[in-house]
This record gives sequence, C-alpha cells and structure tokens, in this order.
Amino acid sequence: MAIGSLFKKILTRKPSPETADAAVDALRIEFKDRYHSFKLLLSANHKALEIMAEIEEALHGSRPFGMTFVRAACTSVAVNVFSMVRNIEKLAPGKYGELFARFDAIQKSVDAVLTRRKPVADERLVIPLGEVTKEMADFVGSKMANLGEIKNSLKVRVPPGFAITARAYQRFLEHNDLQAEIDRRMQAAEADRVEALYNLSAEIQQMIIRAEVPADLTAAIRRAWAAMEIEAGGKVTVALRSSALGEDAAGSSFAGQYRSELNVSADAVLEAYREVLASKYSLQAITYRLTRGFRDEDVAMCVGCLAMVNAAAGGVTYSRNPVDVHDHRIFTNAAWGLPKAVVDGSAACDLFIVSREDAMTVVAEDIRSKDRKFVCYPEEGICRLDVTDAERLLPAITHEQAIDLARTAASLERHYDMAQDIEWAIDPRGDLYLLQCRPLQQRPVETVTQKSAPTADGASVIYRGGVTASSGAASGPVFIADKGSDVLAFPDGAVLVVRQAQPRWASLLNRAAAIVTEEGGFAGHLANVAREFGVPALFAVPEATRILRTGELATVDATGQAIHLGRIEALLHQAQPRKSLMQGSPVYEILSEASRMIVPLGLLEPDSPDFAPTNCRTLHDITRFIHEKSVHEMFNFGRDHNFSERSSKQLHYKVPMQWWVLNLDDGFTEEIAGKYVKLEQIACIPMLAFWRGFIAIPWEGPPAMDGRGMLSVMFQATTNQALTVGVKSKYAERNYFMVARNYLSLSQRLGFHFSTLEALVSERTPENYVSFQFKGGAADLERRLGRVHFIAEILESIGFRVEIREDHLLARVEGQCEGYMLQRVEILGYLALHTRQMDMIMANPAHVEYYRAKYHKDIDGLLAATH
Amino acid sequence: MSEFRVLFVDDEADFRETLIKRMQKRHVEAFGVRSGEEALDWLREHPTDLVVLDVRMPGMDGIQTLRAIKRDHPLLEVILLTGHANLEIAREGMQLGAFDYLMKPIDLDELLYKLEDAYQKKTIQEHKIKNIEGVIESRK
Repeated sequence: MAIGSLFKKILTRKPSPETADAAVDALRIEFKDRYHSFKLLLSANHKALEIMAEIEEALHGSRPFGMTFVRAACTSVAVNVFSMVRNIEKLAPGKYGELFARFDAIQKSVDAVLTRRKPVADERLVIPLGEVTKEMADFVGSKMANLGEIKNSLKVRVPPGFAITARAYQRFLEHNDLQAEIDRRMQAAEADRVEALYNLSAEIQQMIIRAEVPADLTAAIRRAWAAMEIEAGGKVTVALRSSALGEDAAGSSFAGQYRSELNVSADAVLEAYREVLASKYSLQAITYRLTRGFRDEDVAMCVGCLAMVNAAAGGVTYSRNPVDVHDHRIFTNAAWGLPKAVVDGSAACDLFIVSREDAMTVVAEDIRSKDRKFVCYPEEGICRLDVTDAERLLPAITHEQAIDLARTAASLERHYDMAQDIEWAIDPRGDLYLLQCRPLQQRPVETVTQKSAPTADGASVIYRGGVTASSGAASGPVFIADKGSDVLAFPDGAVLVVRQAQPRWASLLNRAAAIVTEEGGFAGHLANVAREFGVPALFAVPEATRILRTGELATVDATGQAIHLGRIEALLHQAQPRKSLMQGSPVYEILSEASRMIVPLGLLEPDSPDFAPTNCRTLHDITRFIHEKSVHEMFNFGRDHNFSERSSKQLHYKVPMQWWVLNLDDGFTEEIAGKYVKLEQIACIPMLAFWRGFIAIPWEGPPAMDGRGMLSVMFQATTNQALTVGVKSKYAERNYFMVARNYLSLSQRLGFHFSTLEALVSERTPENYVSFQFKGGAADLERRLGRVHFIAEILESIGFRVEIREDHLLARVEGQCEGYMLQRVEILGYLALHTRQMDMIMANPAHVEYYRAKYHKDIDGLLAATH
Repeated sequence: MSEFRVLFVDDEADFRETLIKRMQKRHVEAFGVRSGEEALDWLREHPTDLVVLDVRMPGMDGIQTLRAIKRDHPLLEVILLTGHANLEIAREGMQLGAFDYLMKPIDLDELLYKLEDAYQKKTIQEHKIKNIEGVIESRK
C-alpha cells in the first residue's frame, strides 16, 4: 500500500515530535484499515462457503430449483470470492496478484456454462405444416414437428395449418425487451411462497398479453393464413396450440401446461397468439419447469395453428396402457363434440379397449353418461352444451371407429418405435383427423387390476371404484379445492380432491400426497402429470367432494382403486419413494457442471509447495488459499512493524503464560505498551470464552503423569518448542491468539498435535461462525484416528458439522446467536486442555468409555452454567 | 455505528420507497432517486456516504452510473443491488470498485450490515487521507 510505505519512509527519517504523533496515528489507522479488510475478507469467505454448501445441498437434495437459483448462487459465490481477492491484495499488495487471473479464468468458464445457448438456425418466423418434418423440432417444437411428420411422411389426415416458430417467439421478446424484465421479476420473487408465485405469474402474463406483435411477424402470420385457406378451400377458423421447445425432453410430458385457444378467427389470431405465449408463465407451468429442472430460456414457445375441425366426436387414444407396461391393448377415451372434454378431464367420457391382434376387436368398453360436450360457435369461440337425454348414454364412436383409431395408433407406434398418445377428432362426415401425437410415458409399476394385493382392513374403506390415472397409494389430510385461489391455501402433503381433472391443478402435484377427482379419465393432462411426478391419482370417483371432508385423514389407494379413512400403513409401506425429477434435467446439469468449477477443494496442505495461486482450480481453492494467507499476513504485519502497541504480548494470567496475544484492532481494553497483557485487559469476547472453558475444570492428567497442578501442566505442554526471543517465529510455531473484539484466531501446538480455532462472534447472527481444525499426535495412525473420531463425536453432539480426512478433523458451526457461539468456543477451550494426549489411551476401550462419560458430563455442566 | 447518509437509486418506485421507509426506521438517513442521471445530480448537491444502485434502469444503467460516481466521488462507496443476477456484470461492477453486488430479494439486516461495513471502509479511508494531509502539512 502506497500510504503504508510512505509512512515507513517518514518514520525512518528523524521525525519532529508532531510528525511522530501523526505517524503513530497513521499506523493506528493503517492497522484499523488492515483489520477492516481482513474482516471483509472473512465475511466474504464465510458467505462463499455458505453458498457452496447450498449448491451442494441443491445437487444432492430433492428440492427443485430453477435457473434463478443457479444464476444467483454462482454469481454470489463469484462476487464474494472476488471480494476476497481484492482484500488479500490490500493486505499484501502485489504478492498474490496471480489470483486475479485465476479468478477471471474460473469465472469466465462458469459464465460460459450459465449462458450457453442453442442457436436457432432457421430464421423463418412461420413455417407451413406441409413443409414441417420431425427434424425441425428445434424450430417449431416437438408437437408440431411430430404432426408435420405424420402428415407429410405417413400421409395421415391432419388439418392444414402452420407453425409460428421459436425464432418468432424470440423476435416477439426482443421487440418488447421482455426477457430481462421477466428474469428480473422471477429473481426478485420469493419463489418459496405460493402467493408470491401466484402474483408473479399474473404479472408476467399481463406483460406478455399487453406486448406488441412485431409487424414482420404479423405479416408472416397473415400470409400463412391465406395459404392455409387456399388449402382448406375456404374461410377457416383455427386452433392455436402451444408447441414449446423441449416439451418432450427427458421423459417429460409438459402435459397441458400451456394454453390452447380453440376456434379462433383471423381477427383474433394475434390476441390468441399472445395468450398462448403468456401461458408459458401460468402458475402450473412455472411450478412444473421448476420441479422438472427446465430452464426458462430453453422453453421457447412455438405455436401451432391448425384449421379447426368441427368435431362430432373427439378424444384421445393411447397405443398402450400408461399404468401397466405388460398390457398391450390399445385404449381410447371418447366424448361427444371436441376432444377438449377428454383432454381437460372436465367431463365424463367413454372408454374403448381394443386388442392388438391382426384382426383387432373391441375387447372392453365402458360407456358413461356424457352430460356435456364442447362445440364450435359458427364465427369463433366454443361453448359447452348439455347433451340430450337420448344421446347421453350412446357411445360417442362406433366399434369400427375405435378399431380405426387403434390401427392408426399402432402404425404411429411402429413409425416412432414408441408408445403414442394421440388426440383426434371425427368430423360430421365421419372423417378422422389427427390433431396431436406424442410419445406416451409408461410407468413400469404394478398392474391396474391387481386390486387385492395389499389387503387392508375393509372397515376403513369408504369408496371402491374409479379409474387409476396414476398408480400407487398415499395418505394425508383431505383438501377439497374448487376455486383457483384455493391453490394458495393448499397444505403440503395433503390429498387433493377436486371435481374436474383440470390441468390447472397440476401446480399442486409437487406438493400433493395424492389426487382424487370426480370426473376425467386417465388420458387427461392432469393424469399425465400425476404419472410423471409419481403422485397416486384416482379419477372418476363420483361425489368425491361430498364423500370426503377437508381436514380428515384419508388414504388413497389408486392402484387398488379404493379410498380409506385414516392412515392405512399396510397400503403405504409398498408406496414407492417419489423420484427426484431434477437429476438429469437441463437446470440440474448446468448447476452440476458449474459446481465442478466452484465447489471441489483441491488445495489441502498449506505446507505443501503446491499450495499456490497457480494451483487454484476452483473458487473453493481460491477461498482456501486466501483465507490461509490472510491469517499469516495479519500476523506478519503485526510482527514486522516495530510498533509496540501492536506487537505481540505475552499473556499474563497469574503468572506469565506460554501464550502470545496479537491485537488486530480492538481486542484489548486499552493500548498496551509493555511486554505483557493481563487477562482482564482482553476485550476479545471469543478469547475470553475460550479461556473460561480452558480453566473451568482442572485437567486430571494422563494416568502416567503425576498431578502437578494445572498451571505446571500447561507450562510443560506449551514450552516444548525451542523459542528464542528475537528469532522471527511463524504463526504456526507458537501458541498465538490473534484478537479483535469479535474475532479470535488461535493457533496452538499442544503436545504433538496442532490445532487452529477461528471464531467470529458478534450480534450479526448470520455472519457468526466458529471453525476448528485439528491434526496430528504422537501415537500411531490408528490411535490418532481414534482420537479424531472421539473428538468429532463430541463436537457433533454440541451442534458442529464435522468432516474428517484421515487424521485431520474440520469442524464448523455457524449462523447461531452470540450466546450459542460463545458456549461452543468455551467447550473448545475445555477440550483444548482435556484432550491432549488422548491418543495415548485410545487403545484401551475402558479408558475411552471413562473419558467419553466424563467429557459429556463436564460439557453438560459448562452448557448449564453459562445458560 | 454512527449515522450515515444513503442514496437509493432504483427505477421501481414501490421497491425504492419501501426500502427507504424501512431504512429510516433503522435510523439510516435514506433518500431515493429513480435514475442514474438523477443520482449524479443529487450527489453534486447533497453530501452522501453511500449509494445503493440498481443495475438495470432506463437511461444510464447501473454500471455507467457506477463509473461516473467513482470518477466524481472516488471515496463514496457504492453497493449494487439488482434483480438481475449476471456474473459478467457482477465482475465488471466489482472491478469498477463497487463495494458489493447484492441480489434481490435481500434480507434487510444483511443490507444494513453491508452498509455499515461500507461506511466503515469509507471512514477509514477518509481518516487516512486526512492524516497524510496533516503529515505533509507539518513537513512543509
């Protein structure tokens, strides 16, 4: 530091008295400045370690996290590490300059991982369906790519239409400068609170709906519309469907997460386009991406625009049984009117099961009373109609049509070599149109029909029947939801009970134990998501909202198709643990990759020649290096400056002790010029706590030693290093307290082992920490390990997090209030005295037991005394 | 900790005003402006210890504002507080001498600690300069 060296120069000349005073002042300020930098460095170190722990926890835990967390965590670690680099530079200018370059290199690689993006190669804003192939999934979304593929390669009947591409979506966002604003709001929201998410979702959707569709995109849509009408041979309305990028990635369904707009006229198409885009931020879509680990920015909303089919009947066909991989039959759910009734889970529907032999036949059917249907208004929009009594109980499709659907499903399955989920409509002339096809997720679990397997006490059953939409069994308090705002009140782990199996309830599935609906079949969106999340789901339970009451405990056995009152353990013990949906997801992979440049610690041995800036490969390495060096720099500065106030003092407690104290800033109650510091002159709170523990209970001494009193023992233990006055000692070679009012760094060599204790304790609870390291001993490795584990067990019992590497113990406790932290320091003081030479007795189990009991008793006493 | 004056620069009125109110309750003299330009004007007129600066604002952005503040008021400490976690911008801000780069939502106590630390840094630097001026004066 320029100012520091200037003072050295000034001091070496013959100073006038005023200059000398000013120089002393200057040195005091210099010390203060250094200590402040050191404190900032420590707090940055603490924060960086804390976030690294959060990153580790995210990667190993089951809680979902989004890119917001990933970006914030990585940025925060980097900022704090940078702060450390800057402050060590202040403590030792130029000495570790290389660190800046190391930091820069690591930070750049992390940044590259965070901002990596797939380039969109196709610049078209709109692509006619007739030109779409399955290779275009990155431009038009997999849903439209699949539809284009079956229309163009398989010649299956699909309505004319076009895709509004990922490029168009980007263009829309850029035109309105939306992405950064969305990111900002996502970050600033407290994602843990459902209410905050709810508001966030509403705000972002509003922003999108109010934004402007750029002129070139509008023109492209108009041109494509005109071409579509030519192909259709007249005026058309359309269905607008989301076809988001990555929809089918990693076995996810994205089922029903986004909005579809049906029967949209040319006048309303831009409006509807924005509505579909906005649905990317519906509550269930945000929750879904978070739970599944999808990056917000990877989900470009492509939109499919298909000429509307005025359906007489519609539905969904599965080429396999979604809840039983051994069942090869083909399943169709059908309803009157548009397939919406089936997809939404909002109305009852018929079920047709077709065998897969060459001559396909309907092997089972379940014709339900279909009270309602959805039909198109002539101009635009759709309406829900009551079905006439005559039609209600009639099958919505004929057996021939069911078989026709089964054949189509089977041929698509052969083409894609994967089970398929197909949405279809049959127009009034009886022509079949495919509206959507996608891979069907099958769950390799027990069969649907295995009703008797888990036998539970029949007395508890309050309902038998329903459709297994997702297998399994779970228990929890019932929560009946009706309005959208009920989402806010839904308690974690409850059984969700609703009338209709609408997609909007999907946002609760990551928190629900199970779900029961009155209507809906297993082909609906909600059923898809339930299967994907592994949440047991029992659908088509009439009167479920009346049979069950909010708050009462129920067990839903979706596999056995029954609902029980109370908690039925016999059913639950076979329940499978929820799968972690994060692992393998894009967000997870990004954090995992970034963390490899942040979290691993390679620099372990400060005494090794490898302990150097050039060998810092991760941000953790940098923090480790800087922390170690900063302590030494603080020590060396005090030693090198011939400034009596700040030179190390020998501790005087009754008699001069073999402990030295170096005051960093405000660690003494007054300035001390002499050689000794008395205990009562110490202002350092953690040092006083340490000392209280150290002298609390006299040491019995090892069996071989005769009792010569505590003080003599302490002398003996601390004087076995040859210390010659005047020879510069290294920090580690003597027993030093480095102190400030709230800070203690203690380096001690007692007997043959070496330990360091560092504590920062103040009223700033979140910044508090105590860290303790311990290594070595004279005994053989086995006994040393014995002692390390012995101490680890004691420390863990009082709240330390302990890590052991060979005979090296690292313990840390943090973020607790002042009183709690000081007690821990006090116990470390106690242990410092009492565990010396413990390694000598480790081979004798009786001794070990004796000491274990004694230490726990003593520690309990200490904890009780200070409380 | 002695009292200090903080200027909050944020284009989001709700956020800014709430923060100022809550800071005042903690005996911090807090003021607010809504853009980088206004911040520079304010600093010319009003003695200020610390600036808490948003990064994304219409007009001058946080980084440009930071650069201008550090040029005109080198002793003033600036904390970036943003809803926009961006590693590159964070590094740039820190290299330009920002005291810290914090992210919304922020715990109020944490922000207060940062302000105290930044203020202490500023006080120490001022003492240093005063002292060196004194020494130079006495040697004339």
